[in-house]
Amino acid sequence: MASEDKVFSLSGIPIKDLYTPDDVKTIDYDRDLGLPGHPPYTRGVYATMYRGQLWTIRRLSGFNTPEETNKLYREEYELGQTGLSVAPDISTVVGMDADDPRVSADIGHAGVPMSSIEDVEATFNGIPIENVSTYLADRCGAVTTAMYFVMAERRGLDLKGLRGTTANDMLSFSVPSLVNQTPPQAYLRYAVDFIEWCCEHAPRWNPVSFDSYNSRDCGLDAVQELGMLLATAIQYMEEAKRRGRVPLDKFVRRVSFDTGLHNDFFEEIAKLRAARRMWYKIVRDRYGITDPKCALFRVHCQSSGSTHTTQEPLNNLIRIAYQVMAGALGGAQSIHANGYDEGICLPTEQSMLLSIRTEQIAALEANIGNTIDPLGGSYYVESLTNELEERSWQYVKKIEDMGGMAEAMSSGWLYKEYRDAMIEHERKVATGELPIVGVNRFRLEKEPYEVPIFRWDPEAPYKQIEKLKAFKQKRDKDKLTASLENLEAVTRRGENVYPAVMDAIRCNATLGEISDVQLKVYGLWRRPLAI
Amino acid sequence: MDSKNVKILMAKPGLEGHWRGLIAVSSAFRDAGFEVIYGGSMRPAEIATTAAQEDVDIVGLSILCSNYMPLTSQTIEQLKAHGKGDVMVLLGGIIYPDDFTELQKMGVSGIFIPGTPLEDIVKFVNDRIPELKKVA
Repeated sequence: MASEDKVFSLSGIPIKDLYTPDDVKTIDYDRDLGLPGHPPYTRGVYATMYRGQLWTIRRLSGFNTPEETNKLYREEYELGQTGLSVAPDISTVVGMDADDPRVSADIGHAGVPMSSIEDVEATFNGIPIENVSTYLADRCGAVTTAMYFVMAERRGLDLKGLRGTTANDMLSFSVPSLVNQTPPQAYLRYAVDFIEWCCEHAPRWNPVSFDSYNSRDCGLDAVQELGMLLATAIQYMEEAKRRGRVPLDKFVRRVSFDTGLHNDFFEEIAKLRAARRMWYKIVRDRYGITDPKCALFRVHCQSSGSTHTTQEPLNNLIRIAYQVMAGALGGAQSIHANGYDEGICLPTEQSMLLSIRTEQIAALEANIGNTIDPLGGSYYVESLTNELEERSWQYVKKIEDMGGMAEAMSSGWLYKEYRDAMIEHERKVATGELPIVGVNRFRLEKEPYEVPIFRWDPEAPYKQIEKLKAFKQKRDKDKLTASLENLEAVTRRGENVYPAVMDAIRCNATLGEISDVQLKVYGLWRRPLAI
Repeated sequence: MDSKNVKILMAKPGLEGHWRGLIAVSSAFRDAGFEVIYGGSMRPAEIATTAAQEDVDIVGLSILCSNYMPLTSQTIEQLKAHGKGDVMVLLGGIIYPDDFTELQKMGVSGIFIPGTPLEDIVKFVNDRIPELKKVA
């Protein structure tokens, strides 16, 4: 390639044909890089990184019914998975119970249905939750987490010792559910209520994982992804600070993050390195928090589903392996390798096994973790890290200038960003500007591979509906009604709602009943139309 | 009938939120000169009511979860119940090739999986404008 040809990273950063010491001469090692485990954490959040502990292999999963999902979790453990990550199904994500007539065709899809504490108990049946760290991709108000906590109480466990993470992030939920949403400002209120409650009652639980994965899969680039992610974290911190109910450092110490891993290999590595430095600066410079534990950008990364193709699905294995490698070279604490078949169906057992093996091979055979931040000091990667940081700060500022992330959602700006990114992506695919092997490059007339297909159980909804009806029958109606009335009153009074949520769950309230209280108080948010 | 008289309702009958395809295809139809009603997430009955009220020629469904069989069949039943059984139904998303025949029997005219060039989808409709005219 002639050197005068313009080349750009996926986020539009101009890339030179060669990087030299000139490109990194402004870098001061101690100030800008530092040792791993030391400010500004560019090289890693822990001093020993993978030499001390390998990244966690953590697949987000769940399907059909709680019983089948339970079986899946046990299998995943036997295959060597080291973390548990729960995907709720669509009905659960939108806060509707299985017996709601609107959801019958959606039950058991894309996750496990969890309308009641009984479903949560079945999902975790026989799993020693005192010994595992569980991630819950929970919806607004952390209702499923309340069920998980009440399950722990019923098992006689002390919540103070429970380890895990609740997503509790409004940015990631700007994407998946098109219906039944509370307004972003209400989401923020519920989210910070949960954080405050956890600081006191479940101090080892991570009460929020700021999550840009879904946004990235809407077509955003690495700069936008990082900007939105940090702008969301800043808004949560501002809200917690404004309320002043918990010391900010107590909350920030337990913050974690979740990002996508996209195709531009070096840019993704630089993104994670830049994110660590930026988070450190936010915590130390902006909020003056000196506790070093608060400044650690601990991150779970997942290969980006939007990069996986329906055509020639086996090619996705290669894409996923590169993305996993970028996550590992970028210093992620936890990684989810997608199923290669996700452009065709939910992952089959074979594909699930391959996901876990992809990470194990990267760790044990490719020796990626043998030394810390192996790309640190690369003229290119350091230069890209600087560039991503600078551009992402500008994006953070843009969002803050419009009043923060919740406002950026309410005003429709966020959705315009998504739309523009989606349409621009399609344009680049159509023109061939963005090559996708097997799709717009080297496309074959006939699909060369036949791969096994996962079939969803069409009986799953009926099983769930019957179970839920029976569950509802045996509840103490008076206690239940009183707990829901109390929840509504507390919500209207502006107090922390979470104690009332916990009480309602103890009275066997369902997800839909609690979600209905949210909608009753705050109204249904129709997210802005951007087309 | 030419492209500007073609009215298309674009919607997701399920509750999942993979809406990228819906936006992309809706934009492509709009850019091709069709009149597009972007319904977003709608229940099958809402799709049918809107299709009837707006007297659309085409209903485009986008489903990225494996529940497309019940959702498509529910939507088509509702369309028939609302007197719009003659509308052309298109389906886009993650659809297993094994199910194409049954979906066609159900009344789906065009099925488009991810990776289909947008211009192919637009061409599919343009090629069938004469048929639309017959029912109009």
